[in-house]
Amino acid sequence: MNYHFGRGWARWMPFLLLLPGLAAYFVIALGPSLATAVYSFTDASGLKGAPVRWVGFDNYQEFLFMGRASVDNLNALGRTLVFCFFVTVIQFGLGLLVAVILNQNLKGRNIFRTLYFMPVILGAVIQGLIWSLFLYPLGGPLAKLLELFGMRSEFLGGQPAEAFAWVIVVQIWANMGTTMIIFLSGLQTISTEYYEAARIDGASPWQVFANVTWPLLTPSVNTNLTLNIIGSLQAWQLFLVLLGYRNGTQVLGYLIYATGFGQTSGSVTSSFRQGYAAAASIVLFLLVLVIGTVVQNILRRREARILG
Amino acid sequence: MKKTLFSLLALVVIASLSLAACGPAATQGPAATQAPAAVTLKVLVHQNPPMVAFMEAFNKTFQEKHPNITVDMSVVNAGDLSTVSQTRLAANDVDVVDIFGFANAAQPYMKKVDAPNWQQLIEAGLLMDLTDQAFVKNYDEATIKDAGSYNGKVYAINLGRVSYSGIYYNKDLFAANNVKVPTTWSELVAACEAFKAANIPCMTAGGKDGWPIFVGAYGLIGAIYPDQAGLVEGLWNGTIKWNDARSLEMWTKMQIYVRDMIEPGASGIPGDGAPGRFASGVVAMFPGGTWYAAAIDEAKPEFEWGYIPFPGSDNPEDNKYLFGKYDQGWAVAANTPNKEAALLYLTEFSEPANYQAFANAVGFIPTQPTAKLETRIGAEVAPYLANFRVGYEQYWIAPKGAGQFANPWATYFKPYGTDDDPQALADKVQADLQAGLDAVK
Repeated sequence: MNYHFGRGWARWMPFLLLLPGLAAYFVIALGPSLATAVYSFTDASGLKGAPVRWVGFDNYQEFLFMGRASVDNLNALGRTLVFCFFVTVIQFGLGLLVAVILNQNLKGRNIFRTLYFMPVILGAVIQGLIWSLFLYPLGGPLAKLLELFGMRSEFLGGQPAEAFAWVIVVQIWANMGTTMIIFLSGLQTISTEYYEAARIDGASPWQVFANVTWPLLTPSVNTNLTLNIIGSLQAWQLFLVLLGYRNGTQVLGYLIYATGFGQTSGSVTSSFRQGYAAAASIVLFLLVLVIGTVVQNILRRREARILG
Repeated sequence: MKKTLFSLLALVVIASLSLAACGPAATQGPAATQAPAAVTLKVLVHQNPPMVAFMEAFNKTFQEKHPNITVDMSVVNAGDLSTVSQTRLAANDVDVVDIFGFANAAQPYMKKVDAPNWQQLIEAGLLMDLTDQAFVKNYDEATIKDAGSYNGKVYAINLGRVSYSGIYYNKDLFAANNVKVPTTWSELVAACEAFKAANIPCMTAGGKDGWPIFVGAYGLIGAIYPDQAGLVEGLWNGTIKWNDARSLEMWTKMQIYVRDMIEPGASGIPGDGAPGRFASGVVAMFPGGTWYAAAIDEAKPEFEWGYIPFPGSDNPEDNKYLFGKYDQGWAVAANTPNKEAALLYLTEFSEPANYQAFANAVGFIPTQPTAKLETRIGAEVAPYLANFRVGYEQYWIAPKGAGQFANPWATYFKPYGTDDDPQALADKVQADLQAGLDAVK
């Protein structure tokens, strides 16, 4: 038998070379994930030196079935799905539209590509600050605009549904650049010969898009859909920065953070409940796993059908 | 090339050895004085502009006096203090932490509740026992007992009480519009109507941080339930309900407070921006804590303001109370490698002259018996100090399973929340609380 890496000790080289990566993956990703699963069955507070007791499924029982709090948790779960749906659909659509436009031979397109991508490189705190200023209800730019029409709003501090909608807007603004860049790179891999052939056959611009661009963008579509869905299901930082812990706006990711670090009641003395937060994390993980697996399955089948 | 490198290396080694020989030997003999080891003392405080400004000045003086100690002070938002304290104490990355006054621990009538975070920190062995430290005696006994002790040991020194159930009012605007300073709820409503008629916003608040709006309404809770510890016990044992007749009066007034009194757009004002907004002179009143006084003065020193208890009742007798809490305190990390420096820091901070300067700068109601209320806010609250009471949130621990509305917050009403019917909201709040009480039975 031929061995790529030779014989004797050299046969172990692939494994040795993989070891640092595997070790890093275990320490940074898999280890903490497994630890979270174990913690979810304890009453851990997250404090070094504090006793940790095994509580079985108590955290799950409390999270899913105990009193009105469990209804609030399930509402947060529902809100997470709503957030995921709107962010994914709008971000995907806008990203594709902008990528198609900026793939044309337009004057200054590099400037626009930079402008659309720029929010991605800003951290959540900066993104939050920019939008807090833009939506400042006492004379901010949008408040001034509404005033012209005799309207006013509290924006982020207003009713929960409106505040929640603004977070969707900011999430899309903050991440649309990534979607656009992935689509742009996909568009640039499509050979111009296909377009020329289609035009010679008399295809309209829509027919060119529907029958040439869209099918050949399948790998980018899959990547973007997966990233958008998982990213929006796990979102929490913008909720923290823009809204804080407000009734009727929490998504699961933020609920986990607030519970784990004692920020749920608005009191400075809230308990640290990392065991309970770990159970909520596992619920979120299962949600991401189920949705991610179903979506991946559908996308793979679609890719096989289109690209063979 | 190799030769050159070798020569250079040899030169460096020889030079180092020569310099070492010329320098003072660390073990020269008993007569030699050892320079104290350099220490970086890590201090964590929450954002409160006048307090941070004072601490920066204090740290400078402290460092000049103790050149071997460098104070590395971090500032975080009040809402993040517990989170950052937890992570930095766990990582052994902080020596002195700012900690809010210990609220009451779980009471015997509270079933299956989690311990408050300060108790968790102590039980995890993360805070140093300060019981025997001499500087503890500089603070009054009641404060040490109520705000810094657990199981008979002292874990924190509390630096001041604050009231949060008062209203700052703009004296010039009141005089110019011929409005009487309100002492009853009806007078407060009438005052707001007068200001609104004159196109002057009645009240402002730092609503972006959430809590400043509902904190302003503590006077409404307090006017109806002056015994806040009794209120908490009553809610737990079912003798008081958030939808009974008394509470309904509170909710009705809260709706008027957020809908008609707080200026539109206040939800966008950050907590530390509200004093500046009030000091600008465009708003008549500012319901808020005594800790804002220094920031108002700093924003506009010549600004004329007064401070009154929130008049939540039509009976002036019910409005004589100031509700509040024990605010900032100091605790020391149990595992600090810089124990001496940390204790020295607290010792010097606790010296009466330094503490008085701190209380003056921050506007706290002092917790050292020798300190005096020398500030403007001190003079304003002095008549009510005999009626100072610890507020509801300092006692309250929600039962597990209670819904998210199980609190008396005015912000549930429109325009900040979804509710506009006091009775419906009262029923919702009680249902959320009852669900928790039933769940822990």
